Amino acid sequence: MTTHTEEMTLNMGPQHPSTHGVFRLKVTVRGETITSAEPIIGYLHRGSEKLAEGLAYSQFIPYTDRLDYMNAMTNNYIYCASVEELMGLEIPERAEYLRILTMELNRVASHLLWWGTFMLDMGAISPFLYAFRDRDHILDRLNEISGARMTFNYMRIGGVKWDAPEGWIDRVKETVELIRENIHDYDTLVTGNEIFQARSKGVGYISKENAVNWGLSGPALRASGVKFDIRKDEPYSIYDRFDFDIPTREEGDVFARYKVRIAEIYESLKIVEQACEQIPDEGEIIHKKGKRLMMIKPPEGEVYKRAEASKGEIGVYLVSNKKKEPYRVKLRRPSFVNVEILEELLIGQPIANLVAIFGSLDVVLGEVDA
Amino acid sequence: MFRLLKGFGVTLKFFGSKKFTILYPDEKVEMPERFRGIHRFFPDKCIVCNMCVNACPTDVITLTGKPHPDNPKKKVIDTYNIDFQGCILCDFCTEVCPTAAIVMTARYDNLSSYDRANHFKDIDWLSSNEVYGNYTIEEEVDEDEAGEEK
Amino acid sequence: MELMPMVLYAGVLLQLILAGVAAAILFERKVIGYMQLRTGPNRHGPWGILQTVADVLKLLIKEDIIPHAADRKVFVLAPIIAFVPSFAILATVSWSENLYAADLNIGVLYFIGLSSVTTLGVLMGGWSSNNKYALLGSMRGVAQMISYEIPLVLSIVGVVILVGSLNLRDIVFFQESIGLWLFIPQFLGFVVYMISAIAELNRSPFDLPEAESELVSGYHTEYSGFRMAFFMLAEYVYAIAISALATTIFFGGWLGPDFLPGEFWFLLKMCFFMFVWFWLRATLPRARVDHLMNFGWKVLIPLALLNIVITSIIKVWMG
Repeated sequence: MTTHTEEMTLNMGPQHPSTHGVFRLKVTVRGETITSAEPIIGYLHRGSEKLAEGLAYSQFIPYTDRLDYMNAMTNNYIYCASVEELMGLEIPERAEYLRILTMELNRVASHLLWWGTFMLDMGAISPFLYAFRDRDHILDRLNEISGARMTFNYMRIGGVKWDAPEGWIDRVKETVELIRENIHDYDTLVTGNEIFQARSKGVGYISKENAVNWGLSGPALRASGVKFDIRKDEPYSIYDRFDFDIPTREEGDVFARYKVRIAEIYESLKIVEQACEQIPDEGEIIHKKGKRLMMIKPPEGEVYKRAEASKGEIGVYLVSNKKKEPYRVKLRRPSFVNVEILEELLIGQPIANLVAIFGSLDVVLGEVDA
Repeated sequence: MFRLLKGFGVTLKFFGSKKFTILYPDEKVEMPERFRGIHRFFPDKCIVCNMCVNACPTDVITLTGKPHPDNPKKKVIDTYNIDFQGCILCDFCTEVCPTAAIVMTARYDNLSSYDRANHFKDIDWLSSNEVYGNYTIEEEVDEDEAGEEK
Repeated sequence: MELMPMVLYAGVLLQLILAGVAAAILFERKVIGYMQLRTGPNRHGPWGILQTVADVLKLLIKEDIIPHAADRKVFVLAPIIAFVPSFAILATVSWSENLYAADLNIGVLYFIGLSSVTTLGVLMGGWSSNNKYALLGSMRGVAQMISYEIPLVLSIVGVVILVGSLNLRDIVFFQESIGLWLFIPQFLGFVVYMISAIAELNRSPFDLPEAESELVSGYHTEYSGFRMAFFMLAEYVYAIAISALATTIFFGGWLGPDFLPGEFWFLLKMCFFMFVWFWLRATLPRARVDHLMNFGWKVLIPLALLNIVITSIIKVWMG
């Protein structure tokens, strides 16, 4: 009797507990080792870019909430900022600070959520709940200022929609303290854990060259030793007024990406604290041209504007032909670019590493498919 | 090797600490005033300017007006519908409304149903949605009485 | 015992075990809930006491689905094969000095030997489902359970050498006579036993066969309704059995202060073990297959062997 082994095609997703949405991954496995992997995307495609062409400039803002719904503030910002650049608007000082505050708080919330779900992928169930608890404090603050917990729709072309309610800045300061304390607990719970380290160290290695060649951005790039953060290298808004570091790691593995994100939470909290101190007590919050929501008509031209979202570089390319609607909107979504490297990373890995590697890239499917 | 044991201390600490659960149907989260929940409509204030229909990014608002009984140049609202199947609660309608006739309340639940048709809310439903929100009502008592008489 | 009392005992025990499993599941959900700052189940009955009952009822009245491509006979048989041994091993457990079913001279051997039959149920379930996740899960499960059975048995051998008997009751009487619970002189064996017991039970952090984030639900992915309930039942009865064994051989069985009956102390000690397992689940991430295998073969087995050597030397030296 002769025996032979066969490769098996395993279809992970679109419904699978750890694909974070509707992502499909077609892998062939030999035993438990992956020999080929093919990410298949598009299950959440909503045609955002095309929709923008039929909507007035302001009307597209709520749609940007729904790209990376974990980090909607930055999406709001980058779209508004690109229109503002086209129109040449000057943003009031207080509005800039409110934007920074909300964006950085949102980045912390996004990283916390990533931390929770990533640990869930790793098989630890408690961090998920702890992360949600802390994220909830931040969402409460954002809810108070913007009126929504996830799809904020807070920024407007030329400023922000609402001024901070009474006592908001103080509550933000308290939240920052609370989260800083709690993150220490999380470090004790997870980072030192030997099982976690054994699973994450040396897994999913991305070299410096590879990271650049694949166009990675955000924590995934910085964990490979490339010190690139748009907040520092090409300061937008008023980021040049704050003192913060760009955490980088040289290892380029899952653990490095984990450490970079945890360090980034601390840096973001630092920015929030500084912004709380510096923010002017009162002032305009929106440019007068932005107040007329439906009457925004930028002059003819095109612009590309980019910002550092929690997942990486988010960019908006906008073409205007002097109409009420934009002629073309192209969105550079960091998750969409980051997920492409998955195919290369997975080959030769056991299935157990698949979820760790996929989780460590921090992909949001709303953003991949747009 | 033994840093992993520290984690047990953390979970044991949380074991005894205060719980964070909100027992949802029994107790509800108090949403802040600005919360963008389900709309409320004030038919008396509406001037049928059609701004909300234009501003709606998902085209879910439909309205019709009829001539004012006293002054034929003015219009009063006749029907006003929001299709909550498509509404994304973006708040543009209340933002553009010049008379604050359409506002958002902090109500965030009880829109689910077994029938799509139930999501289509008409003027009566919207004006009787009396939940607090980011708006003020003048002579609240009178208005409530008026609503009951209708 | 005669046949009739034996059958009666088994019937009563089955009922009690079902109640025990229901309590254990509730206990688990409450413990994990409290550790995660939640309150756990609380809608059914006061303090959520009837939650498990409701869950079981739901599973029982659900439609019984057998996948079209499944190997029907094996598929139906697998949950039973997984459950029966886990219940049968309870026969040797001596709940107190007077309450036991079988006073076997080879109690430990019977316990360990029969419990490994469960592996067969896992393999059959995974294979016959004709599902790739189930297949991978059952392969992992079998590899893991077989490799961890060795350190499990070896860790008990130390106790057996000390006591000089395979009889579970004799082990407790020995502990009574020396006035010391055996986890102190056999600490290394106890640690090895605890770790390999977790792997045997497929509990977190070694719950690889049903690794939710990787394999959806592992070997019982395709099972639903009461067959699924059988697998869950087997898992929890087995958890109870393993903690009963640990209580008997390392924690002095029913021994305890006299003012309460032996059954109480036995149950209390078992609850302690169950709590430790739930605690582990709330704290640790899942290990990886190859790490698990490495750990089992390269760390636990040598440690267990070392324990045997040390115990033998002490035994000879003490005379």
